[in-house]
Amino acid sequence: MSEKTSKGITLIRHHAAIVEAAAARIFPTTSTPGATEAGVTNYVSRLLTEAYPSLAGLYRNGCRAFDRHAKRRFGLGFLRIPESNQDAVLTDFEAGQVPDFKQASEFFETLRSHTMEGILGEPAYGGNRDMIGWKLVGFPGHQFGYSDSYINRPVDLEPVAVDRPYPKEEDWRGKSR
Amino acid sequence: MANPVDVCIVGMGAVGGIMAKELATAGLKVVGLERGPMLEFENYAYKDSIRAISRRDLEERVKHEPISIRPKKGTKTRLQYTTSPSNNVGGGLMIWTGSATRFLPDDFKVYTNDVQSGNAKRAGADLKGYNIADWPITYDDLEPYYERFEWEMGVSGKAESNPFAGPRKKGYPLPPLRPSTRTKLFGEATLRLGYHAYETPQGILSQAYKPPEPYDQRIPERRGCVYCGQCNNYGCHVQAKTSSPFTVIPAALETGNLDLRTRCKVFRVNTGHDGRTNGVSYFDPDGKIVEQSAKVVILGGFLYENIRLLLLSGEGKKGLANSSGLVGHAIMAHGDVRTTGLFDDTIINGFIGPNGGMRMDDFNANNFDHTGLGFIRGATVGTSGGGTPIERCDVIPPGWPRWGEKYKENLTRYYTRCFDIGMHPETLPHKDNVVDLDPLRKDEWGIPLPRVTFSFHQNEHQMWRYIGEKCEGIMRETGASHVWTKPSKRGSRWAGGVRMGDDPKKSVVNGYCQAHDVENLFVVGSAVFPSMTGYAATPTVSALAYRAAEYIKSSDKLLG
Repeated sequence: MSEKTSKGITLIRHHAAIVEAAAARIFPTTSTPGATEAGVTNYVSRLLTEAYPSLAGLYRNGCRAFDRHAKRRFGLGFLRIPESNQDAVLTDFEAGQVPDFKQASEFFETLRSHTMEGILGEPAYGGNRDMIGWKLVGFPGHQFGYSDSYINRPVDLEPVAVDRPYPKEEDWRGKSR
Repeated sequence: MANPVDVCIVGMGAVGGIMAKELATAGLKVVGLERGPMLEFENYAYKDSIRAISRRDLEERVKHEPISIRPKKGTKTRLQYTTSPSNNVGGGLMIWTGSATRFLPDDFKVYTNDVQSGNAKRAGADLKGYNIADWPITYDDLEPYYERFEWEMGVSGKAESNPFAGPRKKGYPLPPLRPSTRTKLFGEATLRLGYHAYETPQGILSQAYKPPEPYDQRIPERRGCVYCGQCNNYGCHVQAKTSSPFTVIPAALETGNLDLRTRCKVFRVNTGHDGRTNGVSYFDPDGKIVEQSAKVVILGGFLYENIRLLLLSGEGKKGLANSSGLVGHAIMAHGDVRTTGLFDDTIINGFIGPNGGMRMDDFNANNFDHTGLGFIRGATVGTSGGGTPIERCDVIPPGWPRWGEKYKENLTRYYTRCFDIGMHPETLPHKDNVVDLDPLRKDEWGIPLPRVTFSFHQNEHQMWRYIGEKCEGIMRETGASHVWTKPSKRGSRWAGGVRMGDDPKKSVVNGYCQAHDVENLFVVGSAVFPSMTGYAATPTVSALAYRAAEYIKSSDKLLG
């Protein structure tokens, strides 16, 4: 978590590292970029400070439970176990099979949704850095429109991200064409 | 106490816009009360999927006005936040997909054509718990008003392309929207299978348009669709979408007879000793209580709000206009049943507009033989989409991973290579599906939340199974490599709860949307539908609004 835009008040450094590691298992870096490169942790931390402070408690308790469950099953904290063991911890959370944390599956689903938002959402919210999520799946962003219907062929347009405030039509046209 | 007026309209969405224009044009003094704001370009024109899809806050007030919802009596309620009953001038028309098909003549006669005729018996349908009725009006009664809606608001379509449609005096004002890969695949596959797909009439302009004479000349000219692909849940940045702030609202304001007041939250319909209404009470933007007198009151909000207001008003527990006890009774919603196809060999680019495209009525209403099928009525079936990656990343075949390396590989591979065939299945009115007042939860004004109790029942489940298989057959015919169907538990496109009918014991309003018990009170919207059909409600709601306005204008008794 190194982005200056993030205040990081609601997510302590250790928990931010857990979010980073878990997101990297949900959407891993392979031969192509993943959650880490997209800046998911920055997205989550801005979401918690700017939009949904009420979720900070779930994140705090969830990260603690990740550590506890990792220790219970593998003898070490979540950040210190190998990726395959991290996957096993995530699988237990997804199934709601964590003995001392009732919100396990709720936390998993929240983290999964936020991870995907941090990869595929608008860059203005702190994730999808350089639109890498959109480039990865082949979404050309928010084009003003499409003069062609691209029937059964790839769209060859540079992706466009629109920042607030929404630009006037002529500004936007200049950007996308 | 505000100055008395002729007409007070509660809710300035699809209904409020049309009725305000019609009544103000006739020289009546109209006050339009809207709980939300008039959205500025900066508010609605963002193509921002985090805001519109993930966070569902096109407008901030939605967050403060959830509904409480539960599957059946005796179960726990939960809060639901949704943009569907939109809180802004224009209401849901700001964020709709524009699906603008008229109902079929048969849709107005469900009791006669399905129960009385013996259809239900031949089908072997179990209708226990359902309360099925005919409409007090027919397709022919609404035909001229459908035309007004299509020509004033702007609808693109091809009149002759649906062989099941009712007769019409005039075609659509604009040709259909441009085809996309998915409409092409759907059109070709259905043709090969012997079905009758048609270009979905849409409240989206395919070309620049201004209504010609004899329609209202004050409605501004608008440009055609640019196919950005983001209609559903988004505002339209080029104003090609048929939204009332781009059409009837400016025309209504131009009369000088409409006083449009935003951020005003109505909490009661007031009544006098004579049993008539004499206006409404509302909280103004500063939270102060204002009483607005009017000769006629029109409730034009989303059905939760119309029902809630009736229940909050009048004397005693029963509420207003409720001698039948049917206010809030038998609400309906379409099930969201989707068949998805993933393609190895075809690039779909589902993010390119139009959002809708083609539908077919072969399995809708009484257009097919129900013998032995175990259900009555049916569904329209068509291509649908919504294409931003945020909307597609949860569309995963059963059994496939939802995260991890394989998930990433599949999402990367199939995002541009998938589309849905969606069903709009008619849900029958069931006695257990109701809206009442939540006894515990209140909104920020201290008013009880509407409590929605809703589940789908046996006829719906049988229908989904049968038509779902047909959808899968079509999807396979398009050449998809992986095909599956997923029914959602959540309803969409709500109707019912303020039923219209001729008998005051069996309905709340008459065919003009006029309350049986309170002659100067009108409830206009999908709430009055006795049956919900396999189509979106907007054209019919709009036609009812034009018709009710004409009735009010011509009534000396109401306005004298």
